[in-house]
Amino acid sequence: MSAKRGRSGAPGRRLVVCLGLGGVGKTTIGAALGVAAALGGANVDMMTIDPAARLLDALNLDPTSADLREVDLGKLARSENDDEPRARGQTLRPGRLRALKLDAKHTFDELVKRYAPSAQARDAILENRIYRGLSAALAGVAHYMAIERVLELCADPTASVIVLDTPPAAAALDFLDAPNRLLDLLNSRAIGLLGSPRTFARRGLRMVDLVARAVLRAFDRLTGLHLLGDVQTFITSFAGMYGGFAERAERGRNLVRSTEATLVVVTTPTLERVQEALEFIQSLRKSGLEPSAVVVNRVTKELPGVRELERSGLPEPLRRKVEQNHAEYAALRSREGQGLALLRRELHAKTPLLFVTNLESEPSTLAELALLGRALRLLLHA
Amino acid sequence: MKLPRLILVTGKGGTGKSTVAAALALALSHRRPATLAYQERPHSAAQILVGAQPRADTHGTPDGKVSLVALDWRRELENFIERIVPFKALAHRMLESRTFSYVSAAVPGLQAFLLLERMRVLAGNAALLDEFSVVDAPATGNALELLDAPAGIMTVAPLGTLNRMASQVHEFLRDPARFGAVLVLKPEEFALRETTEGLQAFERIGARVTAAVINCVPDRLFDAHELKAIRRSVPEHAALAEHRQQMISRALAARRQLRRLGLEVIELPMIFARTLGHAAVAALAERLERELSRP
Repeated sequence: MSAKRGRSGAPGRRLVVCLGLGGVGKTTIGAALGVAAALGGANVDMMTIDPAARLLDALNLDPTSADLREVDLGKLARSENDDEPRARGQTLRPGRLRALKLDAKHTFDELVKRYAPSAQARDAILENRIYRGLSAALAGVAHYMAIERVLELCADPTASVIVLDTPPAAAALDFLDAPNRLLDLLNSRAIGLLGSPRTFARRGLRMVDLVARAVLRAFDRLTGLHLLGDVQTFITSFAGMYGGFAERAERGRNLVRSTEATLVVVTTPTLERVQEALEFIQSLRKSGLEPSAVVVNRVTKELPGVRELERSGLPEPLRRKVEQNHAEYAALRSREGQGLALLRRELHAKTPLLFVTNLESEPSTLAELALLGRALRLLLHA
Repeated sequence: MKLPRLILVTGKGGTGKSTVAAALALALSHRRPATLAYQERPHSAAQILVGAQPRADTHGTPDGKVSLVALDWRRELENFIERIVPFKALAHRMLESRTFSYVSAAVPGLQAFLLLERMRVLAGNAALLDEFSVVDAPATGNALELLDAPAGIMTVAPLGTLNRMASQVHEFLRDPARFGAVLVLKPEEFALRETTEGLQAFERIGARVTAAVINCVPDRLFDAHELKAIRRSVPEHAALAEHRQQMISRALAARRQLRRLGLEVIELPMIFARTLGHAAVAALAERLERELSRP
């Protein structure tokens, strides 16, 4: 796969993007990577989308704030040095780790404030009913804002690794094309359609549009929504900001396609999830991108052998039960094996496939994240 | 257990919610004909249930007891528009308009709302025919967003057709004879907290939660003495035995906690099989059937 990738941004910087469906542990994998990179000496900025409470605590995130917050690595870095004996006097100097939780609405507000041509236009948008009810409903706002926020993170030259968690998506395009879809809306003929009849005449709209317009008005009246006026205001207020948005969207698109981006697809080993992950990878390929690596999370651990059970001296009934337990877990592993075999078949031979075994509990402290991250370090040097 | 006409099966991704929904539909179909409404996806549990790709919008399982209905947001929108716009040609023209698709996407919660409206209609049909309906909730978005949709619609449309429909949906959700939810969880850390949040979301709008289903609970194999003996004699097998034990204790803790919150709790066994096929769904259905028949 020859993805068109060019350089952009600071040299030597790495952007790690965790992609995949909901519920597979994207946020945890991303957080583990961030912690591992920082302990390895990198200056890491990390964006999470909707972290579970256990990760909020571990990363010192304030759920009500959208700002980057420093995570204290001090204690962890010291114990990391104790764990891995090094040559005398040589201790690992950790970098820094900062994390934020994406607030799509807040990011959108900030964008509007930055690009609005006037205070009047700014207020018209911020107070618009459509805009305020928008949250995630409109053409992938959350996805777009994730990309926007990363652009902001990339503007800081001190960050050497940026880790990006993404909103759950069934198709890669949901995320990668989000800026385009939003721009498409803002720049569409919808503006003309909803505008005054005079605009119509100027634009020379066809009969079809006139009918559509009449129908829309009927819909508006019938449903009691009275939305058209608001949609029109919303879209026309955006007209002056279109250029700024388009430029940001283009930069976002280039960033994800650049050589500094590592695209990590996360999945779990069940057949159903693997099949969904492969569909996701297909959609990535359609947009000319190949995953840099695939992480399979929550894989059942390798099982012990059964032979030594014979010589174990366990009473016969208990030995049978241990064998039954073993056989049942072996069946689970074999079920996962089908998913993993399929994944291997469908992926390119050179795409790294990393496994994270099913942990007794999901990581909920920095130390646990660091441990998980150690297993994934390969991704940081890919 | 008193059952409503329609049961919405919800839960976090990876809890086996779709399999539980399919098994529930199969279990109910032993009493009355049942409908399973699901999100069209390849390799879904619903398709395992019927053992084939759905050919059309609605069709029956080989034994003819469970009918499948594929839920699709676009189709729901079309149905909705055709219902409120008097002329078919006009409705089609509107649906084809790009502007319309933007406007409809801009209405907050319209998708969730249309899904709920579809559920209301399904429950109505089920009551008419004396049947049951099971809905496998969409994976995206949580129960909270779904349940808030009618109130959201009533705010943006204070008058008119949509407002009337939203208040009907609201009534439907609060009617224990027509609507009930089943919350699915696995015996994992933190699962309980998420289920409790889900429960609160339903309680807040006055909707009934029929039961919580703790899925993937292994049968007990070892007692404490036996675990000790395993640790001593074959330590490399201890982790596996303890994993099983841990799932059982977590399920036990979850059951106690959920019962304390006043919920009916059903435990479903972990299916230790090499493939998850029709037989597995049927086995789960049998267990559900027993649980549902309890007084």
